[in-house]
Amino acid sequence: MFQVRDVTFKYPRNRKNTIKGISFDVKQGEIFGLLGPSGVGKSTTQKIMIKLLAGYEGDIQYRNKDLKTYDKEYYQEIGVGFEVPVHFSKLTAEENINFFKKLYRNQANTDAMMERLGIFEVRKKRVGEFSKGMKVRLNFVRAVLNNPAVLFLDEPTIGLDPANARIIKTMIKEYRDLGGTVLLTTHLMNDVDELCDRVAFMVDGRIPVIDTPRNLKLKHGERKVEVEYTMGDATRKATFDLETLSRNDEFFNLIRTKNIITMHSKETTLDDIFIKITGVEKYA
Amino acid sequence: MPNIFVLLLGEMRRLLRYNIMAASVVVALIWIGVLYLTEIPDITFIFPLLIFVDTTSMAILMVGVTIFFEKQEGSLRTILVTPITKFDYLLTKSIVTVVSSVVTLVILYFYATYFRELNLNFMAMLGSVILVSLFHSLVGFLLTYNSRDFTSLLINMMKYLVVFMIPTLLVNINIIQHDLLEKILYVAPTKAAMLLLYSSAGELALWELIYALAYMGLGSIILFIIVLKRFNHFAAKESGV
Repeated sequence: MFQVRDVTFKYPRNRKNTIKGISFDVKQGEIFGLLGPSGVGKSTTQKIMIKLLAGYEGDIQYRNKDLKTYDKEYYQEIGVGFEVPVHFSKLTAEENINFFKKLYRNQANTDAMMERLGIFEVRKKRVGEFSKGMKVRLNFVRAVLNNPAVLFLDEPTIGLDPANARIIKTMIKEYRDLGGTVLLTTHLMNDVDELCDRVAFMVDGRIPVIDTPRNLKLKHGERKVEVEYTMGDATRKATFDLETLSRNDEFFNLIRTKNIITMHSKETTLDDIFIKITGVEKYA
Repeated sequence: MPNIFVLLLGEMRRLLRYNIMAASVVVALIWIGVLYLTEIPDITFIFPLLIFVDTTSMAILMVGVTIFFEKQEGSLRTILVTPITKFDYLLTKSIVTVVSSVVTLVILYFYATYFRELNLNFMAMLGSVILVSLFHSLVGFLLTYNSRDFTSLLINMMKYLVVFMIPTLLVNINIIQHDLLEKILYVAPTKAAMLLLYSSAGELALWELIYALAYMGLGSIILFIIVLKRFNHFAAKESGV
């Protein structure tokens, strides 16, 4: 769908490039995650790809055609979900959606979407009276109201309760399963783990790693099993290598003779990989 | 429905919801108050003056207010990723500003004809208001492009009013009588606007009418091209550049 090659970009007032030669492909029908700490160029990359920023160097092809050659018709094909709510606060949810919907040739069944996201009942309420979570859900409806071929989402579940975050994630997966392409920017590694077919980690305007979450875990993971057991009054822990577990006598002896409290496989999480690759303590 | 109509309806709806149209009507009522307090029965001279002040300043303000509301709420960002062209976006805002100026004109004209003596050609006044309002809505865009926030827009607008509008006004009501200044003022867009509005009262030489029409008409076309060209830079700035 997209072929991004050696793209660099410098903001006019900056001395250094914000984007320093990134290359990646986004395939049709995949959810591609763009990850990285704040300020590494994720949003800038997304803004370039949604044509909010011009003046980049390098080449971006969309459907095998230079992105620069697309005019406003490009927006008939894409949907953009911003991180911050972007609605007219004194119009109702329905008026907001209907206004934007009429600008597109392709129009989705937004009533059904609003119903699924639990905001249909309040569709006649002014958006200014909405909670943050309701605005985020309305943002999502706004992004997909033209049945886009490509969906750009920036933190689509931030500020949502787990139940509504689950509904949005399910809707994103359904969209992908129907052939839609998603470029997702998020800090929430659970979302990435659940949704993304491939992820690119951005560090200082570059992309050092692109892979599937599973491959990343295999490459960077330490496959261990941690067993917690009691010994007298004390609680002890022992860690075993998962690969050689079936031949490990010490492990079998332990589970036969001790009172086991917990036993967990210790696969590396995307959080660990994020920190390892980007060198940033995400929650520090 | 073509996008320009969708935009127009949306813009009108927002003018009502955000009470911008209401504010415009309140200003018209203030002008009625001014006319009411004026003891002169024939207000043919004062009427174009009030319309001049309203049309020039309100047109600039209205464009600025609507854009700053959109900036503040982030809705401008989402508008930028729709199939709307910048031509449609800018034209819509200008048309809506003109509509607001016409509403004020109609309110004032209704009061003036029923309660005072007014001898001017309404259609000529309507045409003049449309041109003057269009021109100043475009001035509003340029001032908004160069303003960080709404306060900064107000300061820029005040500069425009002090440099162009107030001298034109003071010369027109003979508070300032200075030959050279009167000639220099022909450079100011506000002079052309004032002359055009007074043309409806039939007090204008032909060359003055041609000058005023050409200034406002050609000026609007040139300004629109400039506003259109500079929109990309403004949009990029809104995107974080």
